[in-house]
Amino acid sequence: MTKHWFWLLLTMVALVWYSTVTVYVAVRGTFDIRQMLRRLRDREREKHPPGPSD
Amino acid sequence: MTHFSWLDGSIVGLYLLATMIAGVMVRKYVARVEHFLVAGREMNVYLGIASLAATEFGIVTCMYTAQNGYEKGFAGAIPGICQAIAMGFIGLTGFCIKPLRDSGAMTIPEMFEKRFGPRIRWAAGVVIVLGGLLNMGVFLRTGGEFLVLVCGFDVKYLEIAMTALLVGVAVYTILGGMLSVLVTDFLQFVVMSAGLIVVTALILANIGWGKLVSTVQIHYGAGGFNPLLNPSMGWPYVLFNLLLNTAATLTWQATIARVLAAKDSATGRKIYTRTAFFFVCRFLIPGIWGIAALAALGPAMPGDNTLHAMPRFLSTFVPVGVMGVLVAAMLAADMSTDSSYMLTWGSVMYNDVLAPFRKSAWSERQGLLVNRAIIALIGVFLLFYGLWYPLKGDLWTYLGVTGTIYLSSMTMLLIACCYWRRANNWGAAAAIVCGAVVPICYLIIEQVPKTKPVAAKIGPYYSGIATYLLVGAAMVVGSLLKPRDEQRAQPGV
Repeated sequence: MTKHWFWLLLTMVALVWYSTVTVYVAVRGTFDIRQMLRRLRDREREKHPPGPSD
Repeated sequence: MTHFSWLDGSIVGLYLLATMIAGVMVRKYVARVEHFLVAGREMNVYLGIASLAATEFGIVTCMYTAQNGYEKGFAGAIPGICQAIAMGFIGLTGFCIKPLRDSGAMTIPEMFEKRFGPRIRWAAGVVIVLGGLLNMGVFLRTGGEFLVLVCGFDVKYLEIAMTALLVGVAVYTILGGMLSVLVTDFLQFVVMSAGLIVVTALILANIGWGKLVSTVQIHYGAGGFNPLLNPSMGWPYVLFNLLLNTAATLTWQATIARVLAAKDSATGRKIYTRTAFFFVCRFLIPGIWGIAALAALGPAMPGDNTLHAMPRFLSTFVPVGVMGVLVAAMLAADMSTDSSYMLTWGSVMYNDVLAPFRKSAWSERQGLLVNRAIIALIGVFLLFYGLWYPLKGDLWTYLGVTGTIYLSSMTMLLIACCYWRRANNWGAAAAIVCGAVVPICYLIIEQVPKTKPVAAKIGPYYSGIATYLLVGAAMVVGSLLKPRDEQRAQPGV
């Protein structure tokens, strides 16, 4: 098994890295989506402000 | 007998419903073509990572990487390592992607127009769309085959499953464009990753690392671990994959769309750097599934389709409950790829191929309508092409050869456009022609029975390497041949 240590190491690193990144991106990505949609809405409001009757 | 049960069906149904709702809900934020094509350039790093990873992993990816594992052992993961190296390097240095994002272009051909003129922009658009759609043409059937095999459905339902999947994806992509793609990609990344990690952990726990290693050793010997010792790979395979993956990282429209949609070039570079290692996982994890299939089912009989080994193995290996997570994960992977690909090829058609036919500027409303119509047409094309094209040879090689139609020339044009002042439209035209002719000729001689032995003798790797070398030479010779006087009159110089 130790003969093929490169593939064992790479597999372990891949699984640990991928699990960690999935959780981290799942949390931070949610904030990114909210921020992106808010900025788009704000930019549109700046370009087309709602009228007095709105 | 497959382990797909009503519980798994419910998990899949719930996932599909959540994705469709999320995808359709963001349509209200689409007011302009810029929102539709590049999400108003408001994408931040983590959403970019999720989107890039989800887009670049579809069922088709899982199938060909598992096929690589089944047929080549651990050495089959080499393309993933090549791409991780390429993406890490490009992200760290900003090579080409920094000037590209800073140019403010929505597509790569748009940037070319500044240096090479409108005709090259149009030709680049045509080649990108041609290569991209041929490449994507096999996605549906391959995805359908996976689902039918894993779920144990009758093969006659393959076309129905494919059509339903495509229609669902098309609906939210047409309505919300890049915004829907990003939001659904995010959900799909989470579901897909959960499925990939859980199934791999199950394989390692139940089959064991020792058994996987001994299976590769028995069937492929040292060549199953080292590509240079594998008779079906060798240095041409490694070199071709290094060139192909570097080119894909620089110019694959679905990949580069994340850089173009990023807030700025620094964000684009961070997305590349931080996603680079995902490409090792992208090949290694399904590769392990393929090796596990080899351990459980044994080597393929003559005439067997090795693409089917992994889903056949998973259909009986994965327990009830986890099977639902697996199928949801694979659907997530496929939907994110399909939606993103339809949108990005559509964006090139709208932005570059149709550009000369716009006599006057279109209103935002007209632009959105045309973009939506293009995506619908791409969906129809995919449905029919995916149904009748008979795939020959291994899937990764087909994708590599069709991708090379544009990857080689577009990469050379992009590098020259960013870093070589002498580059001009003569060189660009010569590079585009060379880049398209060699792979198309190879595809034709591979399909014609009389010339098939010739294609087998040349092999896809030498043909691919030759394409990149010829394209480079064509760009240099073509550019140097153009008289200096004419070059000064060229736009962008």
